[in-house]
Amino acid sequence: MPGRCGLTDLSIKIGKVKFKNPVLVASGTFGYGEEYSEFFDLNKLGGVITKSITLNPREGNPPPRTCETPSGMLNAIGLANVGISSFIKEKLPFLKKLDTRIIVNVAGSTLEEYVKVVKRLNRTKGIDMLEINISCPNVKQGGMQFGATEESAHQIIKAIRENTSHPLMVKLSPNVTDITQIALAVQEAGCDAISLINTLVGMAIDSETRKPLLANITGGLSGPAIKPVALAMVWKVAQKVDIPVVGIGGIMNTKDALEFLLAGASMIQVGTANFVDPKASIKILDGLEDYCENNRIKRIKDLVGKLEI
Amino acid sequence: MIVQQKIPIISCDRVSPLFCRLRFFSHRIARESYPGNFVHIRIHDNSSPLLRRAFSIHKTGREKGTFDILFKVVGQGTKLLSLKKPGQELDVLGPLGNTFTLPKRSNLDVILVAGGMGIAPLFFLASELYRNNKSDSLKISLLYGVKNKDEFLYIKELKDLGIEVLFATEDGTQGFEGLVTNLFLNQIKKSKNQKKTKIFSCGPPAMLKVMSEYAKEYNLNCEASLENHMPCGVGACMGCVVKHGKKNKLEYKRVCKEGPVFNAREVWLD
Repeated sequence: MPGRCGLTDLSIKIGKVKFKNPVLVASGTFGYGEEYSEFFDLNKLGGVITKSITLNPREGNPPPRTCETPSGMLNAIGLANVGISSFIKEKLPFLKKLDTRIIVNVAGSTLEEYVKVVKRLNRTKGIDMLEINISCPNVKQGGMQFGATEESAHQIIKAIRENTSHPLMVKLSPNVTDITQIALAVQEAGCDAISLINTLVGMAIDSETRKPLLANITGGLSGPAIKPVALAMVWKVAQKVDIPVVGIGGIMNTKDALEFLLAGASMIQVGTANFVDPKASIKILDGLEDYCENNRIKRIKDLVGKLEI
Repeated sequence: MIVQQKIPIISCDRVSPLFCRLRFFSHRIARESYPGNFVHIRIHDNSSPLLRRAFSIHKTGREKGTFDILFKVVGQGTKLLSLKKPGQELDVLGPLGNTFTLPKRSNLDVILVAGGMGIAPLFFLASELYRNNKSDSLKISLLYGVKNKDEFLYIKELKDLGIEVLFATEDGTQGFEGLVTNLFLNQIKKSKNQKKTKIFSCGPPAMLKVMSEYAKEYNLNCEASLENHMPCGVGACMGCVVKHGKKNKLEYKRVCKEGPVFNAREVWLD
């Protein structure tokens, strides 16, 4: 690669887990990893985050599940996934073989379900971290409601913390009055990192047919459209908490990723951009390395939170 | 193997006021594509529109390394595509999805049922069937329906293939007056060879819903190529699903991965 000499230390640590670089792929946009292995070497990534896994298989919401909106898209997949048993048996073996960090995203309808899933994963080798999804806007029970108040967020993360030895990242919803309060609550409950933001609740209507474009009526908005909202929330949360923040929301290119690092994110997740360009995450990673080398930044972690005000 | 590559446009033709045909140069995609496969195309580098657009492969020129897509200019994405110039390069993923099952048996009646843009993959299929049918063991016919006769494409080319073409227009301006599915029903009821008939269909969702109902009702050997919004196109996002299976055991299948071609008796469209 022209100009890239491997001089920059791209590694980032969350708790005791060392990532080779700060680029992750976001849950729900990368399947179980296999789908994208045809396009690039997944081992280059800092880590892979799986689709949300629930206790039992979930078929998800009826179609249509997605639609495009200005500079973004809405989805209401509804946590369609194979369930924890099939995940461990059929999907994890592929991920285990990778030389990158594996983060399993966990979701549920009840507190008990979350706890059962994380307990199952205690006995499972090859997992480096769990990301707890308390922010899915597209399910009737659970999901976002756990992340909606400080009390419920604290309660569920505390219960999970007491039942797992895996490091925990908690994924927060932007659909709240003050995300910093939820962040403080989950930090207090013992998580190791906070990822934000999940999608914003949104809606699209066909004025000709007078019908909503999604069968679920509302969905979660993602893509470049939400980047300013995500940046502001990352910045606010990073000011308040002592644990690492992982930035998510409309990151399409290297410049976007740098903005999140400057705002205080230690790592970033690439989501909707994977659909636009299957190699988006790797291009962002290469771009970050180029940036550091061109600007003589020896360690990428030195960029985190260096917003000049 | 799926390829992601920037490939040049060779030509961009308005085949009629509403329809556009783009020809690309890619030996690999041309060589590895079969009827039913699709490509996922990034329209441009900015975020409006953001997502790729999926198009059936409409034709290949295997020797020259070309493949075509055919589309109607309906929205922002197809408008922008229709303005592309030869020499411009576009980021293309493909070939994606499964393919129509070419009949292995001889002495079959083959009926292609195309509604509107459904002609795009079925033209490719018709050409392949014709190429493989030098011994005339298949009796191939195409039922082709549109709203108004001005929307018919490739009438000469289809006739040159030597297959029987029956036209249907909703406004009665050419051929059968009414929906192509009604024309199809008339044909299949008349047929004395129903058990030895293989049907391939492609068209708008409402048409394929009717085709899948007929396939179940008359127990037809029918494949349908579906379309859907496909954010990723490679099976990762679970966005493009369709209800699939036997009536008491339904599950969602991904149109981009398990499809786009399905047994019409096993899909359940709303």
